[in-house]
Amino acid sequence: MDSLHAYRSTLPDKPPNRAGLARGLGAFSLAVGATQLVRPRAIARLAGIPHGPVTTTVIRALGAREVTNGVGIFARPRHPFPLWARVIGDAVDLALLGLAVRSARRTRYGRVAGAALAVAGVMALDVIAARRAARSKVTQPILYSVTINKPPQEVYAFFRKLERLPAFMDHLESVTEHGETSHWVAKLPIIGTVSWDAKIIADHPGEEIEWESVPGSKIKQRGRVTFARAPGRNATEVRLEWVLGLRGTPANEELAKALAKPQAKGDLRRLKQVIETGEVLYSDASEHDKPYPAQPARHGEHKHPRMFVSNPPTARKGGAS
Amino acid sequence: MRATCWMGKQHVSVERVPDPEIVNARDAIVKVTSTTICGSDLHLYNGYVPAMMKGDILGHEFMGEVVDVGQGVKNLKPGDRVVVPFAIACGNCEQCELGNFSCCENSNPNSWLSEKMMGHATCGAFGYSHLTGGFAGGQAEYVRVPFADFGPLKVPSTLTDEQVLFLTDILPTGYMGAEFCEITPRKVIAVWGCGPVGQMAIASARMLGAERIIAIDRFPYRLQMARDQAGATDVINYEQQNVQEALRDLTAGRGPDACIDCVGLEAHGHGLQYAHDSVKQKLHVQMDRPLAVREAIMACRGAGIISILGVYVGLVDKFPLGTVMNRGLTIKTGQCHVHRYMKPLLDRIERGELDPTFLVTHHMNLNDAPKGYDMLMRKQDDVMKIVLRA
Repeated sequence: MDSLHAYRSTLPDKPPNRAGLARGLGAFSLAVGATQLVRPRAIARLAGIPHGPVTTTVIRALGAREVTNGVGIFARPRHPFPLWARVIGDAVDLALLGLAVRSARRTRYGRVAGAALAVAGVMALDVIAARRAARSKVTQPILYSVTINKPPQEVYAFFRKLERLPAFMDHLESVTEHGETSHWVAKLPIIGTVSWDAKIIADHPGEEIEWESVPGSKIKQRGRVTFARAPGRNATEVRLEWVLGLRGTPANEELAKALAKPQAKGDLRRLKQVIETGEVLYSDASEHDKPYPAQPARHGEHKHPRMFVSNPPTARKGGAS
Repeated sequence: MRATCWMGKQHVSVERVPDPEIVNARDAIVKVTSTTICGSDLHLYNGYVPAMMKGDILGHEFMGEVVDVGQGVKNLKPGDRVVVPFAIACGNCEQCELGNFSCCENSNPNSWLSEKMMGHATCGAFGYSHLTGGFAGGQAEYVRVPFADFGPLKVPSTLTDEQVLFLTDILPTGYMGAEFCEITPRKVIAVWGCGPVGQMAIASARMLGAERIIAIDRFPYRLQMARDQAGATDVINYEQQNVQEALRDLTAGRGPDACIDCVGLEAHGHGLQYAHDSVKQKLHVQMDRPLAVREAIMACRGAGIISILGVYVGLVDKFPLGTVMNRGLTIKTGQCHVHRYMKPLLDRIERGELDPTFLVTHHMNLNDAPKGYDMLMRKQDDVMKIVLRA
């Protein structure tokens, strides 16, 4: 995992991947795809395959796939996914060419061999572009921020008592501090109950807290919360940066991020609520995890906030007029 | 308890539901003594507001007696008689400190939903869809009131329910709309829509010193109330007169200095534009029918003020932004910051400067709420405000 500090700067620390090759391949996809859709017979002739109704349909389908890939590449030229889709497409093309050679009688072998060579060549370029995209893709941290109407020292002090975090971080069951490290237990959707150990690696009162999971943890993560005074008033801008990865593939990481981002947003919003109003407010509908009409729950089915910090309102009633 | 539930488009029914209980420490439970159906409830009734769910308890204008308080509520006790603002505000966030209570940052648990739709979250509100939090409303026997140490206002027993009930919404809303107009005696104010909010806006404009107030509607009984009781000096029935011409004539070519839209997303009208907007709304390519606000913008004097109180929920088409820009109009709008106006307006009622009771045309039992909705939608029996009692 890269240093978090790199993400803080507004300029990327690596020169951006210009994705010229990827864009070229995208354009190629669009051109080939369009031709396959409009002139399937010409393509068959070029590849040396005898054309009939079945061949025409297959070539048109391949054309649709090519256009989809091309559009995908132009939509996200730095993303490896549409490029890998091209690689798979190339493999399918090669297999179909092989099939055509075996099943047809009037095949022109010279042309088929030429076509196969061309596909293999493009396939090599696709692999290069896909790997390049995969390499240049840094794991973006989850970033979210909120403004809390209390001074930074106070917000920091609240957050620093880690054992209090489950009061507003819904998925956390408990946090126990043991000196430098802490033990976290969370209940996650789909995955179930998990636990990990984390260590605070930077701690500047009133400014920031940075943590990292200890080596060997099942949930690998690194995160940072910064506390800064909001312009012109004694409020705090709280910013969270959080890199999260279940050990394994990048896809796994994407999934973890997709699940965790809404959670992190909700957690920060609830942090604001707890510090400003003393507790997490539930409505008749939001008391329930599943959709529920805005009417009171039955006795005994209420969800009560995990904490209430007595915190008298700071504002006065009846301002203007 | 019994509560008025939204069961689907143009279908409400009084159902038996569980009694509310204290959930948050700053909650109170209020036994409702009087509640009423708001014109904006009709937008829910007619299915124009998204994020409604079968079984949602409706109602955001209610008052009653405190029967229970959470451990965090020190300023109220059982037995207190209170009016409750329709907007829920925490009193602690920066927006509340600034007095922008309907932009409270903490009172909407579904803020993510309204953020998606509106860019940033709105406050929570009683009985007004899951976009505003999914809070049970006040057309019921009991209501759970969050942030009860901040919102509800105690009212003296010398005043009747009818005198203070409208402090929950329509009176402060109408007053805010008039305040937006920066009224001086020389300013001519035009008010689109003479429903309860329109009447309150007219009465407030009068109270703030406007010499000429022009009321626009299509129901003669509403125009009559605007002139005879709220204090409008002139009335225009848009089904009989051309509004633009009439306004031009009444102001000798200047146009009104400020225009208040008390109509909102279900505006009526005639001609091609109305047909076009209705079709688009039916097809869900546009959520609101902005006929009144369009007309107000065209009519308003250069450098004038457009004050929007009517409820809009989403996107509108053919909004005359070019007119707004080139003629230097100012648009002021918002859900009412009720908490800001309740106490000063209560004082005015106590001093006898303002009496909103003329709005009450009907009394009904809570059980008859469905009849009330239907009556209000059809504007039967010269209905203005229906007070429901459990």
